[in-house]
Amino acid sequence: MKRIAVTGIGVVSPVGIGREAFWAGLTAGRSGIGPITLFDASSFPVRIGGEVKGFDAAAIEARFPEARGCRDRKILLALGAAEEAIADARLTPAELRHALLCVGMGLESICLEDLTRYAQAANLGRAMAERAAGGHNDRWMQTPLDRTAQILGSRYGLLGGRITNCSACAAGTQVIGEAWQAIRRGQADMALVGAADSMLNPLGLGGFSLLRVLSAENDCPARACRPFDATRQGTVLGEGAAFLVLEPLARAIARGAKVYAEVLGYGSSLDAFAVSDPEPTGRGAVESMRRALRSAALPPSAVDCVSAHGTGTPKNDIVETAAVKEALGSRAYEIPVHSVKSMTGHMIAASGAVEAAAAALTLATGTVPPTINLDQRDPLCDLDYAACRARPFSGTTILSNSFGFGGQNATIILRKASDD
Amino acid sequence: MAEVAITGIGLVTPLGCAPGEALDRIQRGEKALRPSPLSPPLACPLFAPVMDFDAARYLGDHKTLRLMNRDAQLATVAARLAMQDAGLRAEEASPIAQATCRGDFEIGDACPRGPLYPPEEMALYGSTGLSGIATEEITRLVRESAAPDGSLDLRRFGETALRRIRPVLSFKILANMPLCFVSIFENLRGPNGVYAPWEGNGAQAVAAGVRAVSEGEVPCAVVGGCDVKTHDLALVALEQLGVLDSWRREVSGTVPGEGAAFLVLEERDQAVQRGARVYATVRRQAWGSAASESDLPLVLRGVRSRLGAPPDALVLAAGDGEPAMRNVECAAMAADGVLVDELEHPSHNAPTLLRPKMHLGNLFAGAAAVQIALAAVLAARQASGTPVVANCHGHGTEQAAFLLEAA
Repeated sequence: MKRIAVTGIGVVSPVGIGREAFWAGLTAGRSGIGPITLFDASSFPVRIGGEVKGFDAAAIEARFPEARGCRDRKILLALGAAEEAIADARLTPAELRHALLCVGMGLESICLEDLTRYAQAANLGRAMAERAAGGHNDRWMQTPLDRTAQILGSRYGLLGGRITNCSACAAGTQVIGEAWQAIRRGQADMALVGAADSMLNPLGLGGFSLLRVLSAENDCPARACRPFDATRQGTVLGEGAAFLVLEPLARAIARGAKVYAEVLGYGSSLDAFAVSDPEPTGRGAVESMRRALRSAALPPSAVDCVSAHGTGTPKNDIVETAAVKEALGSRAYEIPVHSVKSMTGHMIAASGAVEAAAAALTLATGTVPPTINLDQRDPLCDLDYAACRARPFSGTTILSNSFGFGGQNATIILRKASDD
Repeated sequence: MAEVAITGIGLVTPLGCAPGEALDRIQRGEKALRPSPLSPPLACPLFAPVMDFDAARYLGDHKTLRLMNRDAQLATVAARLAMQDAGLRAEEASPIAQATCRGDFEIGDACPRGPLYPPEEMALYGSTGLSGIATEEITRLVRESAAPDGSLDLRRFGETALRRIRPVLSFKILANMPLCFVSIFENLRGPNGVYAPWEGNGAQAVAAGVRAVSEGEVPCAVVGGCDVKTHDLALVALEQLGVLDSWRREVSGTVPGEGAAFLVLEERDQAVQRGARVYATVRRQAWGSAASESDLPLVLRGVRSRLGAPPDALVLAAGDGEPAMRNVECAAMAADGVLVDELEHPSHNAPTLLRPKMHLGNLFAGAAAVQIALAAVLAARQASGTPVVANCHGHGTEQAAFLLEAA
């Protein structure tokens, strides 16, 4: 089987724009969560989120004219991250041309501003149809989820196939796993793979706040997301994007590329339980991790670190802790299990890709980012969560989990790059 | 690599839910196209709804149905029909599956015998289209949020509208929900993925299942897709995206439809061993990615060439009435030796060529699964070894075709 390397990373996140700023923010334990500024959320029950601060959308639109007028923020975040990953991998256009493009996307953008204009019409659908038929189609009401893939594919002339995966919070991890499988079986030469999401809009934030999975600690945003802490009250929505370049290790070495890490395994599973809650025994999560371990041909004892899904919801953290212990056995107690979301918030579809980037950087730099805001240990969460401070890491293998709304689970395994 | 057999088919289409019935009606020339409620002003005069659909008839009147959008209900019913058609159920039924046995079809009724697969060994791959949020739901939300001048008032949204909408709204918008409900109802717990939003992305879901079975990752996969392009907002969205443009220039074009199709795929030997009916085996699939519309002729010819289907294979064409796509598809097949005469009469079903979308409308994300399902039924009526091609071309960049063989 081919060994698959990560040779390019691009990140746009609440703790920093660009790979280096992102990593500096994570390892410093800096929270990216603050009051919502992207729209007037003052009347919403939840008014905090992990916004990407200082993101220059106009600059992205200038470099990607196809995205001009696009009112779907996650597309712009994706383009920024993909651009950085491609530059980081130092690929020529010819080398990139046959790349498989795999993009994870979350909630489809629906333009409430446009819809509201027709709210008083006796028949909203007909009112909108009259406008659309009149040729006023410069502002799409719904942006199809494959728009990012279309823009990236056209810009870079990618011919290796395009996949848009919309498996909610598992999408970012699933696309990496699917790209890894495709390269390994020889279906693709290389892949540009990543995910993006932004739920920080009225419909996204409002809808999720109704589900009572969000922390409403609006007065202390930096401490609102407390995975594994006994006082945690829910997760915090974030936004972001990350892209990776994957290619066969042999090819990466031959062209002198920087190798951050290898992707070693992938697994996915379904809870088949409920759309909002994880299966209480963690059965689906365990299956996802075990499938990833099997595909990597690794025993549980080979795992040196877990990048947890770690949302900070009361249910997730207990179930994930139990599942990690079930899947890894005694090894679970010997290794750090950390949550990137404690700093970024929950970036939904983007989470898995951003956390995979963090895992690759953990292996490349020898530092595990912390789980911040973890001051009071929940007795049911009894692992080593790398609380509050980053720490040195000498291990070689990281397992990264993503568990989605609706019960979709995905796990990837990354290993430190080596010549052997 | 294991041979992959299609052993179960579940359809919910504007021409019925029984696979044989839908194919018969297509072959008889019946069409489910009806006048569109939005024409005028939209130029597209037709749409293809599934009439009198009642999910409770198949799933029982379970409270979970109230959490589900129409696309999720269509998908869940189609998946259940496919499982029953295959005589399969997961080794252990989920609590919700047990609670929903009151429908017209009992779980496992068709063939409760034989080896049943552990839930973790049953994969689920599917596709969904543009958000299925329906007009009535969004209308209420924006009416509550409108300022006197008609603009969106976020203060009203937060203070009034949010308090009056149902908490399940997010579950009706998330694109992965139809597949999640399928997993919950059928207790499928294996590898999975959800793809969006066009015909080729639906084909990717089928391909993922074929790969998972052929490579031995799982012995069984449930694959399919669903879409609802019949409510007002979907019709407007298609108009805005230019999908219906040809109706302005010509007298034909894409007719938006709705429905769902799911297939049960199994390792052929194992399926035969358990006495399952094998509709067809999946011989090959071929892919192409069209970076732009001008690439399409070359891409479709490449797909056709890589598929390696004999010129006399039965074909389910992907053309949906949109003239440009029909012409490109015809040219690709003609270049490969398919009789052009039969291709030049788009409203006519020649003996060796069917055009399901001319009868059912275009189910977009669900279209590939419908094409392959109908191809499998057609194959099952032929002599062993007869090749049947399911073209899965369409909007978006990804173009695919599958070659099936009669069992």
